[in-house]
Amino acid sequence: MEPKLHQEMLKAISDKLTGVMQMYLDTCSRCGICASSCHVYASTPEFENTPVYRAESIRKIYKKYFKLQGKLLPMMGEAASINDNTADLLKKTAYSCTGCRRCMVYCPFGIDTQQIMSIAKLLLLRAGSEPEILSMLADVSISKGDSIDSIKESFLKGLKKIESEVIKKWQTEAGKITIPTDVENADILYVALAGAHSIIPAAAIFNAAKESWTLSFFEAVNFGAFVGDPAKTQLILDRIIKEALRLKVKEVCICECGTAYRIMKQASGKQPFKVSSITEVHARYIREGRIKIKPISDDISVTYHDPCQIARNAGVIDEPRFIISKIAKDYREMSPDPKTNWCCGGGGGLVALGDETIDFRMKSSRVKADQVKKTGAKILVTACENCHTQLENLNEHYKLGVEVKFLSSMLADALMQ
Amino acid sequence: MESVYYIVLVPMVYLAFFVLVAGSLLQIVKVAKRKRFVPTLKIFPEQKPIFLRVLNDAFLFPMVRRSAPVLWFFLMVFHLCLFLLLLGHIELIYDVSFFQVIAHDIFIGKGLVGLSILICLIFFLFRRFSSPVRQFSVPEDYFILLLLFLTAFFGSQMDWARTWYGYGELTTDGYRNYLTSLIFLRPDIRDIAYTGHSFMFVLHVFFANLLFLFFPFSKLVHSIFALPMNMIRRGA
Repeated sequence: MEPKLHQEMLKAISDKLTGVMQMYLDTCSRCGICASSCHVYASTPEFENTPVYRAESIRKIYKKYFKLQGKLLPMMGEAASINDNTADLLKKTAYSCTGCRRCMVYCPFGIDTQQIMSIAKLLLLRAGSEPEILSMLADVSISKGDSIDSIKESFLKGLKKIESEVIKKWQTEAGKITIPTDVENADILYVALAGAHSIIPAAAIFNAAKESWTLSFFEAVNFGAFVGDPAKTQLILDRIIKEALRLKVKEVCICECGTAYRIMKQASGKQPFKVSSITEVHARYIREGRIKIKPISDDISVTYHDPCQIARNAGVIDEPRFIISKIAKDYREMSPDPKTNWCCGGGGGLVALGDETIDFRMKSSRVKADQVKKTGAKILVTACENCHTQLENLNEHYKLGVEVKFLSSMLADALMQ
Repeated sequence: MESVYYIVLVPMVYLAFFVLVAGSLLQIVKVAKRKRFVPTLKIFPEQKPIFLRVLNDAFLFPMVRRSAPVLWFFLMVFHLCLFLLLLGHIELIYDVSFFQVIAHDIFIGKGLVGLSILICLIFFLFRRFSSPVRQFSVPEDYFILLLLFLTAFFGSQMDWARTWYGYGELTTDGYRNYLTSLIFLRPDIRDIAYTGHSFMFVLHVFFANLLFLFFPFSKLVHSIFALPMNMIRRGA
């Protein structure tokens, strides 16, 4: 390995070495409790699929360069050098972890494997071995932020095309714009995904609630986070923050995208606007009586998959259940405790990698499929784009026989004029 | 042999104690001085009262009980025994009347605490031989188990010799004089080094010294960081 690259990789580790990261790296007793808490290991019980094994791949490098034990007695902790094989090993470990943090719930010390894997992802970036498609998608998002005027026209044309779909779900009041954009002083800036499916139901519900809202020109998803690039993550985040500040909105509402919501909520710093998930906003509308809902037939059973980044990692747990309770009578909980609900297996950029990861995603999520099957529900609802795609794939692969729906879509369909 | 005994019982003890304290403090300072990770790392839902939940997580390992009850049982027994042995060693230095809430000789349990800890360590060792724990274990894991086992074994032997086999030459007063002399920097090993089953004592101290020397540079720092890490997980 070239000395310059070696130095860059060491610097990458050093940049990530916060106080808490040092504790995560120093403390693990390798008890292995985390093993069975990981959906990948629970589905395919091979030791390489345990959180502790993944973390050890970084811990051994850390010991070699940052710890006295690794320097004096490298054999003790099997301290490992960074070499030409490092990237291959790290690719396997970093992209077999979805960052769901279920293992953190079970670890007696609360070690966050997702944090440790963020070092692995950064090392892959430095070595130029990250999944290229994720970097490319992140770059596209960033360039969109740099040249918003060039895409505005085509974006607005696209919105015009879907207006009729929104009106089908909720008739816009006379004189009102169906999908408003660039509205200064709006109460809510809604940040959707690139597809119409995340705009249509949301727009219908905002209009039904007579909300003062405006649609963001940017998509919420943060590919910088998936690929583990802190600089790109921040640049993608900054586009939305700047837009919210320019429009002087009171609230930024993030669409059904787990990573986007968690990053906006937890990493945007202190801002003059609050950050909410669309699920929280919808629950608020129901509580305040701003929208009325027609429940579905009593004999239709519904279950809900908690997206890890929205529920376990960001605390939106009661709101989706509240919304569903107003739509469906036969609600079936998947797990007695939402914080230990299984990950769908599609997070951490795996779904974004598409067919490249489909075999792994299907094999590693058998426990999720079993969990869904056990509920016997006809409709499987979730509130995250990645989870939705992964659950659709699982539905097909394991022949679960469920209908996979977005929560917002289900709510929009239940709106009463 | 006398000089070997002296090295183990005096300078090595001072060195080990210094490394234990200074090394542990150094680890804490290093963590405190590193930059902070700003976004929250907590797990939801938030459960209150947070601090009691943190204590529960750090000392009673509720999620281990839920997922691996047998391991949890041995972990609880092991850590409880460690605590009782710590109290026993404090009582070797001076009498603490509060500890006598349950009346006992020095070292509560009549030798059963040591026996329990050895059984736990054997369990931990055999657990490491089974998959998948075997595959991600590193030599440090076995080394620490070995050091703990040898320290506890020779420590227990001393106690068993005194309480079960009737060896009377090495008395608690002898241990107390030795420990007090170390604390007041006037080391005196006459009462404990050259009498009865003193070789067990020397070996006990030797392995304990190694354990202390290794402590700050090993995974044993979990005893320092378990509480703050659980606080972070709970968002305290």
